Amino acid sequence: MNLVLVGINHRTAPVEVREIMNIHETRQAAALSNLVGREGILEALILSTCNRVEVAICARDEVEADPILRSFLSEYHHYDVKAHERYLYWHRQEDVVRHLFRVASSLDSMILGEPQVLGQMKQAFATAKRVGALNGTLHEVVNQALAVARRVRRETAIGATAISVSYAAVELARKIFGNLEGKTIFVIGAGKMSELAAKHLMRSGASAILVSNRTYDRAVEMAAAFHGTAIHYEELFDYMNKADVVISSTGAPHFVVTREKAEQLLAARKNRPIFFVDIAVPRDIDPAVNELDNAYVYDIDDLDQVVDANKKQRQREAVWAEQIVNQELQKMQHRLASRDVVPTIVALEERLNCIRESETERFRGRLNNLSPEQRETVDALTRGILNKILHGPITELKSGAGQPEQGALVHLIRRIFGVGE
Amino acid sequence: MHPALLWTALAFYGLGIALTLPSVIRRRPTLSPASLGALGFGLLAHGAGLAIKAVEIHRLPVADVRGALSVFSFLATTAFFLIYLRYKITSLGIFMLPLAFVLTLISAVNNGALPASPEFRGRWLIVHIGCILIGYVGFFITFIAALMYLFQERELKSKRPRAFYYRLPSLEICDELYLRSLIIGLPFLTLGIVMGFIGASREWKGPWELDPKILGALVTWLIYLILFSTRMSGSWRGRRSAYLAVLGFATMMVTFLGISFLSGQHGYFPKIGPTP
Repeated sequence: MNLVLVGINHRTAPVEVREIMNIHETRQAAALSNLVGREGILEALILSTCNRVEVAICARDEVEADPILRSFLSEYHHYDVKAHERYLYWHRQEDVVRHLFRVASSLDSMILGEPQVLGQMKQAFATAKRVGALNGTLHEVVNQALAVARRVRRETAIGATAISVSYAAVELARKIFGNLEGKTIFVIGAGKMSELAAKHLMRSGASAILVSNRTYDRAVEMAAAFHGTAIHYEELFDYMNKADVVISSTGAPHFVVTREKAEQLLAARKNRPIFFVDIAVPRDIDPAVNELDNAYVYDIDDLDQVVDANKKQRQREAVWAEQIVNQELQKMQHRLASRDVVPTIVALEERLNCIRESETERFRGRLNNLSPEQRETVDALTRGILNKILHGPITELKSGAGQPEQGALVHLIRRIFGVGE
Repeated sequence: MHPALLWTALAFYGLGIALTLPSVIRRRPTLSPASLGALGFGLLAHGAGLAIKAVEIHRLPVADVRGALSVFSFLATTAFFLIYLRYKITSLGIFMLPLAFVLTLISAVNNGALPASPEFRGRWLIVHIGCILIGYVGFFITFIAALMYLFQERELKSKRPRAFYYRLPSLEICDELYLRSLIIGLPFLTLGIVMGFIGASREWKGPWELDPKILGALVTWLIYLILFSTRMSGSWRGRRSAYLAVLGFATMMVTFLGISFLSGQHGYFPKIGPTP
């Protein structure tokens, strides 16, 4: 096993350098073919996103891969990579495995737990497989990296919390209403931000949308985009009691919804909960409305606060995710190490079987007058002895896989049984 | 009740609760098969124990307080199972299961044979206790749902998401669970109390209307009636309604456990201490 990875990412290099090093999706297949066409390179993987460029290879054991990778990158980019040496990081052997596991699980991402990188890794894996650049150890490692990432998604909540303000609004609406199906959104003051929040809410299953704006035409325009209903600004409160989520971003200099108004709304709604998202500055909703039962008011700072808490939550989840990565890394090491003992086991079995067959052949003359059943018995007997002898060394080889003294053990067993290296 | 089966059930319940903890702490969307399996085995052992006992005495083993506790916790754990299958609320386990466990434990520790007093013979009594127990399980769930609602509501109002925000279900789910369990619990409690009145008027002598337990049950019933009507009309909803549910449950516990010490006709509790 000779794994090497070279890469740059958002932490090690500024965007100008990442731009230069980028290997565009459409050119990856050619780049991979170029790489595996080089002497000593068995497998290759290229992952290139806006935040990182990673080139991983598996080379023949005796090959020194660094110069090959350097010259590949230099030739590919028509640019001497030595100039950017300080931005590069290099990983070898288990570190390559760990790095790929962490990248796929989004533990190395700029935004912890973001889901895109897993898709990008899948894409890179598919491309490399298509051009035949993955067929052995690296294939197994990348395949496992994808499995580890899926396990991290499944067993931790690293990607479960909202980390943008507009998604935080959706998350809060879900904490109040559960399913958003059948719920009505009321957007007051059509703006970029309220439009984004409304879009997320509608995508999460909300059923209807009302839009109101001081300039009625703008309300009609936005309502049309969402297949909603435009409401005249003067009739605001005639419709507000129908709304479960109110997104407000008017330019009004005073509160649009006062405590008294909110009390009337709640009474009209028979106390069904109502959620105000106030993204206007100055604020549209009197903060005192939050003191009323079944009314929830979040202004822009409150949403930021939720986002901050969610980010911390992701960091906490990342600790669990790192544990999963470590566990999986150990398993992988063991698997890779036992890949190394497999040839020895096969050679051992062949060697002993060879002895068995030649010895049976030698005694064929004396065994001639045996009945077919008896001959079968002799066959089973010799095979049984062989398996009993093999059992010990094979168990030792398998359990010793990955241990430091494994090399010596393989050597010793090969010598004892006269199996050539 | 067979002690071995009850202790087996307890051991499985304990294991189930222990295995539920990491799922809640780690915010997994579902409980592990191991914890569900453990709870399932616990229920099997518990149910088998109750069934054997029922066959032995030819009626439901609810006529003494240990039996009643045991049946209650069996029903509550079954209810948890069903609710989990429907709503997949992992955090519910943390709220519901420990109490069910403690009640089973009390029932297991006091496992001496109790001579059933003549009052406990009537068939009406089994129906009376059975209905009230089902009503109690319903209100137990109402209480838990109200509690979860209150915790989640506080987090949302405070605008500072902490542990509960991430682990508890939405307010709407809490509310739905709360209302449904109320709708199931109330008719059973009503029926149970009516059965009690009929039976008592026929068999008990003296001023049985003043029995503290009966008064307690009436107060409980009244609270739940108010809860139900205000919630249905929409005049009380959310936090206030949830507080009333907590009060209702407290009254119920006092009636179920506390007043039994004072009650003349319902006074089987004094015998619960260490059996001679």
